[in-house]
Amino acid sequence: MIAALLLVAVTVLVAVVDPRPATPWRHLYLLPAVVAGVRSGVGGGVLAGLGAVLLFGPLVLREIERAGATRAVVDGVVTIAMLVVAGPLTGALAVHARCQRRRYEALLAAQRAVADGAPLPVVLGRLRAVLEYRLGGDALGLVLVEPDGPIVCGAERLDPASLAARVVASGEAVFVPDAGLDSRPRRVLVVPLTTGGVTIGAMALERRADIGRDEREALAGLGAALGLALDNARLAARQRRFGDELERKVGEATARLAEMDRLKSELVALASHELRTPLTAIQGFSELLATRPFAPCEVRRVADIMRAETERLGRIVADFLDIARLERGLPLALRCAPLDPAPVIAGAVDVFRRTRTTHRLELHVDGTLPRIDADADALDRVLKNLISNALKYSPPGTCVRVRARPERGAVAVDVEDEGPGVPADDLPRIFEPYYRSPATARLDRGTGLGLAVVKSLVEAHGGSIRAERAGGRGTRMTFVIPAVS
Amino acid sequence: MYALAHPHAAPGTRFLDGTPVVLLVVLALAAMGTWTAATAGLVPDALARAAGGGAAQGALLATAVAWTATRPGRSAGLPPVGIAVAALGGAAGAAVAPVGAAAYLWAPLWLWRRRAQLEGLGLAKLPGAGLVAAGAALGGLLGLHLTITASLTLGYRVGPPAPLALAPWLAYDVGANVLAAECFFRGALLDRGHRRWPFGAAAALSTGACVARYLLDPLLPGTLEVAAGAAFYIALLSVGNCWLYRQSGSVVPGFVAGVVFFVVYRLLHHVR
Repeated sequence: MIAALLLVAVTVLVAVVDPRPATPWRHLYLLPAVVAGVRSGVGGGVLAGLGAVLLFGPLVLREIERAGATRAVVDGVVTIAMLVVAGPLTGALAVHARCQRRRYEALLAAQRAVADGAPLPVVLGRLRAVLEYRLGGDALGLVLVEPDGPIVCGAERLDPASLAARVVASGEAVFVPDAGLDSRPRRVLVVPLTTGGVTIGAMALERRADIGRDEREALAGLGAALGLALDNARLAARQRRFGDELERKVGEATARLAEMDRLKSELVALASHELRTPLTAIQGFSELLATRPFAPCEVRRVADIMRAETERLGRIVADFLDIARLERGLPLALRCAPLDPAPVIAGAVDVFRRTRTTHRLELHVDGTLPRIDADADALDRVLKNLISNALKYSPPGTCVRVRARPERGAVAVDVEDEGPGVPADDLPRIFEPYYRSPATARLDRGTGLGLAVVKSLVEAHGGSIRAERAGGRGTRMTFVIPAVS
Repeated sequence: MYALAHPHAAPGTRFLDGTPVVLLVVLALAAMGTWTAATAGLVPDALARAAGGGAAQGALLATAVAWTATRPGRSAGLPPVGIAVAALGGAAGAAVAPVGAAAYLWAPLWLWRRRAQLEGLGLAKLPGAGLVAAGAALGGLLGLHLTITASLTLGYRVGPPAPLALAPWLAYDVGANVLAAECFFRGALLDRGHRRWPFGAAAALSTGACVARYLLDPLLPGTLEVAAGAAFYIALLSVGNCWLYRQSGSVVPGFVAGVVFFVVYRLLHHVR
């Protein structure tokens, strides 16, 4: 509008003051051409230049008709030529400068968009919005290649045969003058996003207006800068993920250590009590034997009690020693040899049948058991520990069943009680050292080491052990030890 | 987004793909045959001129239709023979009697009825009134400037229109001259060029071809100043129409600009 007003003003001035082709006022026609070029680019410059030519041209043409090729006519023709050139040239320079500024602004905005350390899909979304606005595209898309699949922004998915996928694979920019889909030409430019010579993604720009050679080259450079920025953002995101993971793991480990510390403190108190109880019994009965006369049958009964307490003391000490070895990463000391497990199982059951008359103890051996490569003492400890637990945590009068059977090249032994059973939440943890189920801890004192040692012993034989609810009631502990092949 | 979500297959078409070569050869042979017959006195000169003009306009329109209907990824389904016949019919009608010039309107009607298939011409969805008004303003401005310049320098004067004398020319401009120029130089040539090159290059090609077409027109007075003036104004009109086509995607604003320009041009009377 300003250029049009200037054109009219200059024309009026020339027409009124000096309507000749060589008038010095003619140079004022450059003013609207330059103004239009600066404000509206090449199109504006062309229009204003042609407008000036149309308005000034008749003066020159009339002079040509009147006097031929005079010096004044030459001046006028040169002026017309300058007007034709000045507008578009100014417009082109203005557009070039504007594009350069827009690219720098786009780069700055892009760097701001990736700088705050948000997750990569969010960063990509922001970047896309910024670039689409700054680069003046009808559509803009970004692809970032990640190990677990590309992050695509600007489309639902990345087609493997699309231009962007090709650019990601080849690392070369692609320009398509027309996608061929619209009634009007649609330019498509896809440039790789690179860092350190490696293509990490692609940026696609679609526009109905031209994408000139200069702009294509500039966008390829922008792709390299964006690649670097995105790579930094990706590294920062990875570092942040790693930090979060590390923090979580350290937190878990700290909580676990605190739990272990608490359990060990409890254990010290518990162990003192557990060790003192049999010692007190042994001490008391031995003093009785030493100071009082007893009938032979009474002496035998006291001796049996003292032997049982001694065995209990021995078991506790053995458990502590074993768990200490395991915590130091040392294997359990086993003396394995091929043996028939049936007598060992029967012996363990028999011991409890004789000493614990409050419960019924049943033994079932299905068929002939295969021989196993085992340490007889360790197997005996496993069985006695499991049977002892079953007796301890089931009410008097109930039945404890021990069942041994061959099972796919192994021997499986179930120890099943009719007690309240271990709560389902505690089942996965009952084999952990020092762990005692809150439900069972109330019923009886213990070190929390027995089952951990049992599990270690079974696994040292190449076997496995599991705990489960026995039907609707009680607990079933099952261990399996491979047979000798 | 096309670049991400669609498989890309290079169109692989060449610039002249879809050109109705056989039809163009037939039209050229028909024009030459009629001209030869007229030279030998076998047919009237008016018929030879009509055949030549009709064949030329028909060739431009037929090529425009053929190119527009064979875009990449789109099957050609519109034979261009019909528009060539319509152009020839218009020229023949005008040669028979001034009233017969109404036959020139056959070509625009033919195109209008098939506008849905001629996407490149942008007839299916008409552009906004602003761009049509801009076209009228461009044509009017250039026409006005032409009349002023011509009356100041070349001894022409502007006379009031004689409706009966102007009507056949108006029909010619609407149905053949401007219609063929806009359909071919903008709807076909500029569109094809713009799908390959920057707009400036495509517009230069379109404008150059358009100026050449008018400089070769036997209806143009053969003096140097008229040729220079014609080249100047046709170039300006063509550049303006290229811009209008890019803005609107339709030949309608350029068509309006051309019709207005030529109507104003027809008001000039050579009195020297």
